[in-house]
Amino acid sequence: MGSRTDDVTARVLANPKYHQLVRKRNAISLVFFAVMLVVYAGFILTLAFVPELFARPIGAGFTTSIGVLTATLVAVSAVVMIAAYVQVSNKVFDPLIRAIVEDAT
Amino acid sequence: MIRSLLFLAMLGLLPGVALAQGNGEAQANTPAIVMFLVFIAATMGITWWAARRTKTTADFYTAGGGITGFQNGLAIAGDYLSAASFLGIAGMVYVSGFDGMIYAIGFLFGWPVVMFLIAERLRNLGRYNFADVTSFRLGQTRMRVLAASASLLIIALYLIAQMVGAGKLIVLLFGIKYNLAVVIVGALMIVYVAFGGMTATTWVQIIKAVLMLFGATLLAGLVLAGFNFNPDVMLAEAVKIHPTGNAIMAPGAQVSSNPLNALSLGLALAFGTAGLPHILMRFFTVANANEARKSVIYASTFIGYFYLLTFIIGFGAIAILYKHPEYFSTGANGEIDIINSLIGGTNMVAVHLSNAVGGSLLLGFLAAVTFATIVAVVAGLALAGAAAISHDLYANVFARGRATEKQQMRISRIATVSLGIIAILLGIVFENQNVAFMVGLAFAIAASSNFPVLLLSIAWRGCTTRGATIGGFIGLATATLWVVLSKTVWVDVFGFAEPITPFPNPGIISIPLAFVAIWLFSITDKSAASVNERAAFDALTVRSQTGIGATAASDH
Repeated sequence: MGSRTDDVTARVLANPKYHQLVRKRNAISLVFFAVMLVVYAGFILTLAFVPELFARPIGAGFTTSIGVLTATLVAVSAVVMIAAYVQVSNKVFDPLIRAIVEDAT
Repeated sequence: MIRSLLFLAMLGLLPGVALAQGNGEAQANTPAIVMFLVFIAATMGITWWAARRTKTTADFYTAGGGITGFQNGLAIAGDYLSAASFLGIAGMVYVSGFDGMIYAIGFLFGWPVVMFLIAERLRNLGRYNFADVTSFRLGQTRMRVLAASASLLIIALYLIAQMVGAGKLIVLLFGIKYNLAVVIVGALMIVYVAFGGMTATTWVQIIKAVLMLFGATLLAGLVLAGFNFNPDVMLAEAVKIHPTGNAIMAPGAQVSSNPLNALSLGLALAFGTAGLPHILMRFFTVANANEARKSVIYASTFIGYFYLLTFIIGFGAIAILYKHPEYFSTGANGEIDIINSLIGGTNMVAVHLSNAVGGSLLLGFLAAVTFATIVAVVAGLALAGAAAISHDLYANVFARGRATEKQQMRISRIATVSLGIIAILLGIVFENQNVAFMVGLAFAIAASSNFPVLLLSIAWRGCTTRGATIGGFIGLATATLWVVLSKTVWVDVFGFAEPITPFPNPGIISIPLAFVAIWLFSITDKSAASVNERAAFDALTVRSQTGIGATAASDH
């Protein structure tokens, strides 16, 4: 690691925007990860420990069970969560990153 | 010169496909063979073009970093959607309904984990593969040996599962001999990877992913059209036909008899993706972290959409296939057992269904896509294996960074050809072995070794080389031993009467154990090196967060 890189690193570390970015990003990533865990673990725990809940049909006259509908929605939710994260990244992180890189170089 | 000769030799294999069709047991399908030959011709053309652009190791392993996020998303979907996940999940839904859906959801939830925890930081920190990231501030030699050990084991397990599954499928679909099928897959893979490197492999994945998405959309559409596009009507018919009736709508006996196993499997599937070497490698083919982010949203959209189609295909097959007794071997009393007597086994569900709703043209298309899928996935695996051998073990451990560009390229190509030959031999050796556990074990190792090491090395300042090495090997060993001592290997493969581990999936034990071991052996590490490693965390974080200093898109 050359001294030029160390200079840049030191300059970034001294920039309050950088610490703002790290804080925001860690918090937002953790929130998304927690939501994902709740959805996924909720699904797996329900099917493992309360399977009879998933066996019920979604309504009178339907064959489709709550389980099959939930599984479909859970699958869709994975993609929706990722899309939402990309939106947040583009709006919140990217402007900050651009500013930090400009300040440092 | 030697290159052109080899090319011609490979092309010479192709007439063998058409000629051999009379010798096999199954009926050969002319549209399938024609379409597969078109696929080979197109991908060989691309390989020829890619070979001329593949001069440096950066070209070979990352396609020069010039792949867009959209293209990479398709290529990741291509890598991820192996024949096992297409035919396998459709088959599982056909056999046990809801339980088959659990696997698909587990595979899909690997993607939020990759996105929220590692994708962008991985791109900012690495150059060719994830070992670049784990060795960024930790001890080069030990981290690379650990990464290469886990990666090569995962790749070997995946390769065996793909080769054996592939050989059997190709025998059924194309009516050629098993050994010939395995040799064709191995030989094609060698040509794509050794000559075209990542550029050719990526384009093979992209073409295959597009064909697969198109074929599955058509198949699912035709199935739903038979039920006025009302999934509930289709499910009602499936419940009426299936031997277990309404039970296919709910978690089955497999799950309720051992809920811990279901949980354990769920963990390994969700966290395994973030440790698969051939998937992580794809993130270095794009220009920057922003494109890496785009790759994930495209990849997960395609993969999620595809799994929804396989649900329709699996349930639709229950409701449709029984009307076609020609796909079943009828029992003594003339009865059809839709689960156990399907010709070719339940992996053939999607293939028979395509014939039932779309005739021999759609059957041929799907068969060709399946063959292409196998070749493409095997090529992606071989490239990741070659990177582990030449970039980690040779260049950074054996030659200690003194290997020239030319030597590295040579080793990469030799590694590719060797891996191809090994894959062919493994395919032949394991022909009649039970390989069903192998993909699950590969995910368990990825989740219990690569994933914890990768995550803690980039997210936790306290992580040291000693902690990561010991914890990584503990995760690797625990996952492997657990599976070997479980019913799937100890009883089903070795033939012992009783399994030693209580349930087959190790994730719930091995993943937390690896994290705890990395933590414990890091905090107790008082070596001088560990002080520097903790101090280097700031530089790592600056680069991982901002991309400053990250390897640029292209070396040209």
